[in-house]
Amino acid sequence: MSIPVLICDDSSFARKQMARALPDGWDVEISFACNGEEAIQAIKEGKGEIVFLDLTMPVLDGFGTLAQIKQQDLNAMVIVVSGDIQPEAHAEVMGLGAMEFIKKPASKDKVLEVLKRFGVI
Amino acid sequence: MTQTPKVSITEDQRDCYQEISNVAMGQAADLLARLLDVKVILPIPVVNLIEVNELRMALSGIENSETVSGVCQGFIGNGISGEALLIFNDTSFNDISDLLKYGGAADKSLELELLMDVANILIGACLRGIGEQLDVGFSQGHPVVLGQHVNLNDLVAANNYRWTKTLAIEINYKIEGYNINCDLLLLFAEDAIEVLNRKVNYLLED
Repeated sequence: MSIPVLICDDSSFARKQMARALPDGWDVEISFACNGEEAIQAIKEGKGEIVFLDLTMPVLDGFGTLAQIKQQDLNAMVIVVSGDIQPEAHAEVMGLGAMEFIKKPASKDKVLEVLKRFGVI
Repeated sequence: MTQTPKVSITEDQRDCYQEISNVAMGQAADLLARLLDVKVILPIPVVNLIEVNELRMALSGIENSETVSGVCQGFIGNGISGEALLIFNDTSFNDISDLLKYGGAADKSLELELLMDVANILIGACLRGIGEQLDVGFSQGHPVVLGQHVNLNDLVAANNYRWTKTLAIEINYKIEGYNINCDLLLLFAEDAIEVLNRKVNYLLED
């Protein structure tokens, strides 16, 4: 069965770029969200078993989204994909329950390595 | 009579410029965060095609009431030229001086040094970041002081541009817990916009 993957980013270019970085031939059902609120909704609808999450977004940012996922005890493996590469941002998202942090733009190799490491692929 | 073609950017192109700036400003912020040992608050970059005489409006991160100091630095690469402006509100300098442990209030020459140092880091890193994504190697000219402790309108007016339109990318950096506020403005020359649009289209293709 295809794995539901959610890509959440306010930029349509970034969403496209992220979708392209997913491993070839990986059996997934991709959904998109433009902000954290949409992401939470999609996760509740079962569309985000694995979530690629941006940090800087309007409405609800990535930090807030992670906090919501934790608070509402939602079932999602979150990989943060962000241009904010400051060590503090990295530490903060890991503290909020993110599985991994990938710097933007995400490369195919890096995404594959992370997914393999977590036994998803 | 030849007519200059009207330059424009589509919504998809604007989104792409914004995302490219987002990645580049993150790299620049990381360097600044390490230099000052602080957390830099990242904004969403603002991308607009504007008339050069509307420049003041593009500097939305700085209040009119504040006096400012700023530098500009030209850049060029692969037929793409432009100018970077870095503008600080003057209250920033004491905090920067403290963070760099210079001790005491900054005098005008120390402020200039700080301004140049931060400008080199931020402008250099941003251009490198944008260049990497668009496959352009930018070289930078010497930084030029636009003014110290002046009114923002005067500072912007001090610079003369040969273009009427410019692609302006505004990045407003703030530092958590400190009174430091600076605006980085990347202005791409009118004749660079078409070249840039082509590069961006390439990225937008499937």
